Amino acid sequence: MIIHNQEQLLKIVNQVYDLERKTAAKEEFAGLQRNIGRIRDAFSEMGLHWASPEGEPYNDTRTDCEASIAGESSENLYISEVLKPIVWIKDGGLQYIIQKAVVIAESQT
Amino acid sequence: MSNTINYGIDLGTTNSVIARYNAGKVEIYKNPVGHKETLPSVVAFRKERIIVGDKAREYLEKDPENVAGSFKRKMGTTESFFFKSIGEFKTPQELSAIVLKELKNFVYTGEKVNAAVITIPASFDTIQSNATKKAGYDAGFEEVLLLQEPIAASLAYANKDDQQEDSEGQWLVYDLGGGTFDVALVKIGDGEMKVVDHQGDNFLGGLDFDNRIIDKIIIPHLEKTGRFDNPGQELKSAKGKYNRLYYQLLAKAEEAKVLLSAKDSIEIEFEIEDRNGESVEMVIVITKTDFENSIRDLVTSTIDMTRQIIERNNLDVSKLNHVLMIGGSTYMPIVRRMVGEAFGIPVNCNIDPTTAVAVGAAYYAGTRTRTRSSINLKKHDNAPGEAVPDNLQPAPVKIRVAYQKTSQDAQEYFTAAVEGNFQGLFYRITRDDGGFDSGLKALAARISEMLQLIRSTVNNFTFRIYDAQNNPMSCDVPPISIVQGKYNVLGQPLPNDICIEVDDYENNTTRLEVIFEKNSILPLKRTITKNITKTLRKGSTDSVMINIVEGQHTAHPSTNPSIGCIQVVGKDLNRDLLKGTDIEITLEMSESRDLRISTYLLMTDQEFTNLFSPSERQVNIDKLRDEIHDMMKRIAADTKDAERREDYELAQKLTMLGHEFEDLAAEINALSTDDITDRKYQLEDRKRKLAQRVDALTRDKHITEAMQEYFEYKEWCKDLIDAHGNPDEKKRYEELVAREKQVMSANSVIRVRDAVKDYSRLGGPIQWRIPEKLVGIFYWLATTRKDELRDQTKADRYIEMGDKAIERKNYEELRVVINNLVQLLPPDKQFIDMKGTGIG
Repeated sequence: MIIHNQEQLLKIVNQVYDLERKTAAKEEFAGLQRNIGRIRDAFSEMGLHWASPEGEPYNDTRTDCEASIAGESSENLYISEVLKPIVWIKDGGLQYIIQKAVVIAESQT
Repeated sequence: MSNTINYGIDLGTTNSVIARYNAGKVEIYKNPVGHKETLPSVVAFRKERIIVGDKAREYLEKDPENVAGSFKRKMGTTESFFFKSIGEFKTPQELSAIVLKELKNFVYTGEKVNAAVITIPASFDTIQSNATKKAGYDAGFEEVLLLQEPIAASLAYANKDDQQEDSEGQWLVYDLGGGTFDVALVKIGDGEMKVVDHQGDNFLGGLDFDNRIIDKIIIPHLEKTGRFDNPGQELKSAKGKYNRLYYQLLAKAEEAKVLLSAKDSIEIEFEIEDRNGESVEMVIVITKTDFENSIRDLVTSTIDMTRQIIERNNLDVSKLNHVLMIGGSTYMPIVRRMVGEAFGIPVNCNIDPTTAVAVGAAYYAGTRTRTRSSINLKKHDNAPGEAVPDNLQPAPVKIRVAYQKTSQDAQEYFTAAVEGNFQGLFYRITRDDGGFDSGLKALAARISEMLQLIRSTVNNFTFRIYDAQNNPMSCDVPPISIVQGKYNVLGQPLPNDICIEVDDYENNTTRLEVIFEKNSILPLKRTITKNITKTLRKGSTDSVMINIVEGQHTAHPSTNPSIGCIQVVGKDLNRDLLKGTDIEITLEMSESRDLRISTYLLMTDQEFTNLFSPSERQVNIDKLRDEIHDMMKRIAADTKDAERREDYELAQKLTMLGHEFEDLAAEINALSTDDITDRKYQLEDRKRKLAQRVDALTRDKHITEAMQEYFEYKEWCKDLIDAHGNPDEKKRYEELVAREKQVMSANSVIRVRDAVKDYSRLGGPIQWRIPEKLVGIFYWLATTRKDELRDQTKADRYIEMGDKAIERKNYEELRVVINNLVQLLPPDKQFIDMKGTGIG
């Protein structure tokens, strides 16, 4: 799949991700989930998909994230907040990252 | 083989860049991990691994005992950096060598980099310069030339679009980067370019501007609300209540800074808990003026330093050619404006400020001849673009690897036993999508690594070995492949595509659209949205059908078995379902390949669900009848066509198949819709096999026709693009042409027809922009097709309007007229009617 205006598309993806995040947290927005899901599916048909690594362990081998480390310790980190998701593109059977997640990592201890 | 150095490296305080000169052009290499052109000049030694760049920078503040940055400032001093994890001191020279080695990895061609021009600040003295040169040798370069950064930037400008610098003249190079500021006066005389004077601040750059947004705009805003206690302190203290938010705000501030270069105002939104524990949604509007006011004093300080140079050298500012702007922070309009206003001379922003120094260094490297000894040593040199895996020095080791090929965890343990002489060698494991990098680690008799996995997919990793200079070596470790996801005996990767049957109006048939690709790992779930292509009246027996088949998606639907089918019938509806409304179809396939289809009708707010198990074949008798009917029509048309071409052998075979379908139709007509015997399965199987035979007989003919159509459309599109296409359309056309080989090799009619549609979609809108074409379409409708127009009075009126529009050359109006005339054509002439599935 050939994607034009990748930068603009990523801006939209980041907004959709933000909507997913905000509506998931609040019950009154449950009705919007279906529409947001459809936007995600449409992107998926274009070969774009994304995931939030929130809650996953974080260490210096994770080149799928750009992290800011909050708090005092840098050991035993987990991803406490995801500002932008990891975005992949599928191109002829290959999959590669076109946006690293922007995350905040914190020590679990 | 080139005998010039060609490689230019900007070994920066904050970021480094590598570029190569080749035949008059310079290519900037990107980091294979993350694809950025810049590599942060930061090195970390964490848990036996050496990490360079973005990952190391993340830990700079929080793990200072094991991470070092900005070491360029200490180059040539006796100061060293102690790394607790390895219990060793490292000199700035050693750390710079590590950065240089990492930059060599950016050279994707596999060419061995053994000579380079490395840039240094104008302020570097002999000792600092020699230390930089030594760092280059430590990194494995056999030849190193140094070049001052302002000169490199000036060369980048001089070489851009063949700019001609005067043989005499002087200018300023203003370099405001990520963390440092430098300004230099560069003079050219008698063909020699030199730095006359320079000035700088090692602690002023992009991050300071981001922090100003927080300090001068966001914190005062929070204070003004009166709902937060000491927001500034709580944000910036590591123990502070809002410390996590501080990092979120830093990211948002950086984004705001970039956006405010182009916009007059932006909004920053975030959630914060007030002193009563209540969550507050903050939206702060930041105008360009707010931002510029917050950083004005910082920019002023750079101007003061520039002024000092001018005064020190008794310069008449008007005699300066321009101020050449480099460094990422010079993208900000306020910087360009204030510098321009301060000196009244042209501010030159014509070169990419982040890569200019490396580009200039590469231009210089392209003119510098290597010494003979260096060329002789160059055993692995290749032209750019040539991969040289075969030329790699073999690593003198034997490696046996062990890991689980499937995993349900987020990480998987990898281990390897190494035999042979591994002293001084390193290894590195990277994930092929760019999301994991083990960093450089010393090779040992036993090595191990936790590999980070992406969920529910195949994760491919590459294992590489490097020598002490970070040159890659060949080794016999095959690619590491780990499937993540629930994976048991029943839940295997899909052996075939799972597809949905949809209407194909253009070809008056149905076609398959792939939902789950072959080899996807179960379980799978996907939702798609389709249009209802015919109106379904409430209470009627009309229906739309969601038919899911298993098999190659490029084949005709009737040749693949159906594995699940849902029929939405008018009598089940609570109101009419209008043509053009959406139907949402969710398909779920479990590990044991149970298929669940749910359809949700947005217009009626109704949901229909059915679960199909793989042991239970799904045959819908009505659908079977329709398919047989379609096949008979198709055979009749193909037979007629074969006779026309005098291919009597094919015509005879098709006729015989036609008879078999007739027999089949008779047997099916004898079955009742609710037949409970196995007969319908047998008949469906027979139909599929017959359809496959028809497909095999006519495939060549259909492919030839499709290919003929393809080349006609391609030619048509090319003519339009050449004469009327814009750059975007030209680019798109080239992309379509580049895919041609792939399309043709698929040997699929559907694939070729899809490509025809791509050309049609590209050429169509262009055609509608061309007045002559519009006029042609109009006259064709107004003359050749006039008798077919349903309302002649209306038609005459539209034709009159069209004539007038042509007279006035109002082509917008003509387009509307054409649309109206098309609407007057009988529906079957506007598009082809067919029974189909009812979804498209």
